[in-house]
Amino acid sequence: MIWFASLAILAGVLVSLSRQINGRLALSTSAMESSFWNHIVGLVFITGVALLVGGLFAGEPAAAPWWAYFGGPVGVIFIAAGSWLIARIGAAQTALLIIAGQMISGVVLDIIMGAPGQLWARTLGVALILAGMWVAHGGRAKG
Amino acid sequence: MSQPSQSKQILYFSAAFGAGGLLSLMVLFNGTLAAYGSLFFASWVPHLTGTVAALLFLIILRPKRAEVKRPPLWVYLGGVSGAVTVMLTSATLNSALALSGTIALGLAGQMVFSLFADMRGLFGLPQRTPLRRDYMALALIIMGSLVLIFFGSGS
Repeated sequence: MIWFASLAILAGVLVSLSRQINGRLALSTSAMESSFWNHIVGLVFITGVALLVGGLFAGEPAAAPWWAYFGGPVGVIFIAAGSWLIARIGAAQTALLIIAGQMISGVVLDIIMGAPGQLWARTLGVALILAGMWVAHGGRAKG
Repeated sequence: MSQPSQSKQILYFSAAFGAGGLLSLMVLFNGTLAAYGSLFFASWVPHLTGTVAALLFLIILRPKRAEVKRPPLWVYLGGVSGAVTVMLTSATLNSALALSGTIALGLAGQMVFSLFADMRGLFGLPQRTPLRRDYMALALIIMGSLVLIFFGSGS
């Protein structure tokens, strides 16, 4: 259990590490070029590991709906945005606001797709996140 | 922390918040792929289509390079770190941590390391010291996220 918990924490550290390295690359090149290298280097790496381990095309990938294949272009804009922001507002604020956006849009997506959920928790969670964003913003404004 | 002007700050905040929305869509798209194919496939496909999309964006937009001089080689390795993340989370998803535990611990790791990186100015990025307000915002947003992660869905 502690082993898996450490892996989950490490995964979060690597998300931040990746954004910092991409942000550093964007400082020398551009946010979009940084996103390109992130994707092509990741592609080569995953292809290599998948060839070693096997099972890349296991299951019924062809049966997936066509729109599920569009995560890539969305990810390109996501990585470019992160690389652009991290040099401007820092790693912590970039991460915090992305988390806020992910959580609140997740609630909206859940409601649209009719996923079951508890109203009190959704209301309280969204309210706390909005309050946090307001505090972060107020801190900046007063300088 | 250095203070960007009010209007720029709103632009940065909106961009980061919007990027979080894109992340939700990615999780939905890639998660759907994983439901039909392998976890490798669900990470391999977006990297492949993303590489093509980024190349098209570069050809169409032709963004200016900030420096003529090539940066050190290690700055090209961000993609490896991202790819390892996918493999780690697919391992922990199937453990007793499940999805909520994986996300919650991931958020913790991400925030602690981000704060540390800001304070030290790691990897050639600007050094910044978080203010008390930043820690208050952090506490509120993480509390809200935990409420949503552990109580927000029907289970």
